[in-house]
Amino acid sequence: MFDIGTKHKIQVVKHRWLWMILSAILLIPGIVALIYSSVTYENHVPLKVGIDYTGGTILQYGVVEKVVNSDLTAIREGLEKEGIENPYIQILNVNNDQQANTKSEIQSIISVRTKFIDKDSTDGDKISSVMNSKYNNPELMSVSSVGPTMGKELFKNSLIAMTLAFLGIVAYLSFRFRFDYALAAILGVFHDVLFVVGIFSILGLVYNVQIDGLFITAMLTVIGFSVHDTIVVFDRIRENLRYYSKKMTFGEIVDASVNQTLTRSINTSLTTLITLCALYFFGGVTTRDFVLAMILGIIIGTYSSIFFCSILVDFWNDKQNDKRKEVLSV
Amino acid sequence: MKNKIIMFWVIAAIAIVSIAVILLKPTKLGLDLVGGSRLVLEAQTTEQIREITPEVMGHLQFAIEQRVNKLGVAETVVQQVGDKRLLVEIPAVTDLKEAKAFLGETAQLEFKRPGPVVEGKRTWETTDLTGRDLNRAQLTTDASGQWVVSLEFNAEGAKKFATLTEELVGKEMAIFFDGIEQSSPRVNEAIYGGSAQISGGSSGFAYEEAQRMVDLLNAGALPVPAEIVEENTVGPTLGADSIAASKKAGIIGLGAVVIFMVLFYHVPGVIANVALLIYSLILFALFKAIPVTLTLAGIAGFILSIGMAVDANILIFEGTKEELRAGRNLFTAINSGFDRAFTSIFDSNMTTIITCVILYLLGTSVVKGFALTLALGVIVSMFTAITVTKNFMHLIFGTGELKHPGLFGLKKEEIGTSFQATETKREKARFGVLD
Repeated sequence: MFDIGTKHKIQVVKHRWLWMILSAILLIPGIVALIYSSVTYENHVPLKVGIDYTGGTILQYGVVEKVVNSDLTAIREGLEKEGIENPYIQILNVNNDQQANTKSEIQSIISVRTKFIDKDSTDGDKISSVMNSKYNNPELMSVSSVGPTMGKELFKNSLIAMTLAFLGIVAYLSFRFRFDYALAAILGVFHDVLFVVGIFSILGLVYNVQIDGLFITAMLTVIGFSVHDTIVVFDRIRENLRYYSKKMTFGEIVDASVNQTLTRSINTSLTTLITLCALYFFGGVTTRDFVLAMILGIIIGTYSSIFFCSILVDFWNDKQNDKRKEVLSV
Repeated sequence: MKNKIIMFWVIAAIAIVSIAVILLKPTKLGLDLVGGSRLVLEAQTTEQIREITPEVMGHLQFAIEQRVNKLGVAETVVQQVGDKRLLVEIPAVTDLKEAKAFLGETAQLEFKRPGPVVEGKRTWETTDLTGRDLNRAQLTTDASGQWVVSLEFNAEGAKKFATLTEELVGKEMAIFFDGIEQSSPRVNEAIYGGSAQISGGSSGFAYEEAQRMVDLLNAGALPVPAEIVEENTVGPTLGADSIAASKKAGIIGLGAVVIFMVLFYHVPGVIANVALLIYSLILFALFKAIPVTLTLAGIAGFILSIGMAVDANILIFEGTKEELRAGRNLFTAINSGFDRAFTSIFDSNMTTIITCVILYLLGTSVVKGFALTLALGVIVSMFTAITVTKNFMHLIFGTGELKHPGLFGLKKEEIGTSFQATETKREKARFGVLD
């Protein structure tokens, strides 16, 4: 019989406080940004939200000229002169290699966000005429418009979907594992979501990145992936407990399980990251933030399944043991 | 072994059927890829209709369908979502602004009788004769060569029109279209023939104006006004770019994964790649057969599901390698490695499916597309992991001792150095352990 407790690549349980501190270091900047944003933003939302949730209209124009950031001010002034209130302008530079297969020679995409343009408003025409005066034959590439009431509804539905997904996962894991495992997995998910949301809050503050409906999709995928990773580790803990619970302490079993699944965890994340990075660098510009959210989520999800969730079940187990000892000593 | 060979042919048959489906059936691409417009219209209550009942929605949907068909674009969609909304999809429309105005127009035709003069202004009183009493409208010219809209009433309408004109002999009658007075001709005598004409008043109609009115009248009035509450329009250039970019990203991503698997797992890696190929074939055939409309979010879901499909293989190989390190023979190692991996694969995929179901039920159409492709991908990946990966491993490696650990990316000295799990008798029997 060989001992599964030897030859570990990483010591999870032994240095558990170190990993907890590392998690805190990863999360704190995001949390600070979330709090800062909630206080300073007009609508007191911790993230910069896009039209999907606030209502509004985004017009995207493709231009053959290379647009530089200094053009932003000129466009904004032009729009404001026409009576467009608080236009929000963003420039996406199109990477030429991405379009090797198409005929279009569009160099930059200018996206203009305004309040909701309803059917009686002429704001759309005004914006188009400003763009026409500044660029050579700009092409209106896309229009997205969400009415204000619709935005509130979408926001509500997204929150409901998130909550239900959480509950569904907890219910399934309690059924397949134990409730405390489910709780640890969900705390892991919370850890991962908080990290990604925090990073996007920072990106919102620094680069004006806004979250949209796709962001919620990315978050739900991250939830799925994070639980996926955690389950693999827990499954191994469950299996090892069956064979070794008499010979090893719980902490040793957790350590061994994490190390046994380490190669798999890293390899799986790597293959998924490979496809995601391909999407990020070669895919369309419009889904780039969506892919970025998933990349961040998968990296942190792998981290948390190894260093966070496993420690949580160990903590939990220690506590229960303490209680048991108390009962015995009484 | 015989079962394995039968299974091999079953897999081959599934692959061939999938290829046939892929070749024969067209791919349904979403509007964000081919370009087009997606509108959500919301029914508005009016003073007359204070509640949007299913019946009102039925009428509204019918009227909107009629108008969308008039646009002359193929493959349009008009579909009710929720209690009071309609989803309208129009691919490749040339003049969207015009189309939107056309869809939103209530096209309420009203005939009114003169009311009392209030503060020196004429007023009009509503009658029971409306656009609903029309049989059809037609574009014609009158004696002076002006464009006019001639109306043909149905039996009910003809009766109402006759009564109204009898009552109004010597007086004026006004015709309102969408609340705007079009003309107010003087009624010289009662009209019993059941037809009437709308002229454009003193200035006359322009051709387009008259034609548009005819189209709207024939398509039928909307029972209640409908407002656009959501719009997503993608030009054809952006759509084409997105397809090209997604293709490129997909090929590069898949290629990199294929190389990674071979470098890391050697022969099993090759098997995983074959499994991945069969997985993609089955999934694409399913997309086409169901059919699933592929959108950008849907493609993202598909690419993510590739990640999960690869994961199933990695779990199986890691499990098998562990068993081999413990000194098991090949047959046992593959079986027990697979078995141990499968609980993880099943549990983790179930949670993904739970999330997908919730997303599908609650999400917007963009999110729905993502959830559907991801869920299908996860289900198919479990199937290919069970059938393709396991069978091919058995077929290629057979039974007996592992003579060339390098095939698995293992070193000779690693074999037999690892821990050994102690199975129960039942598990031993299942894995085929003979010791």
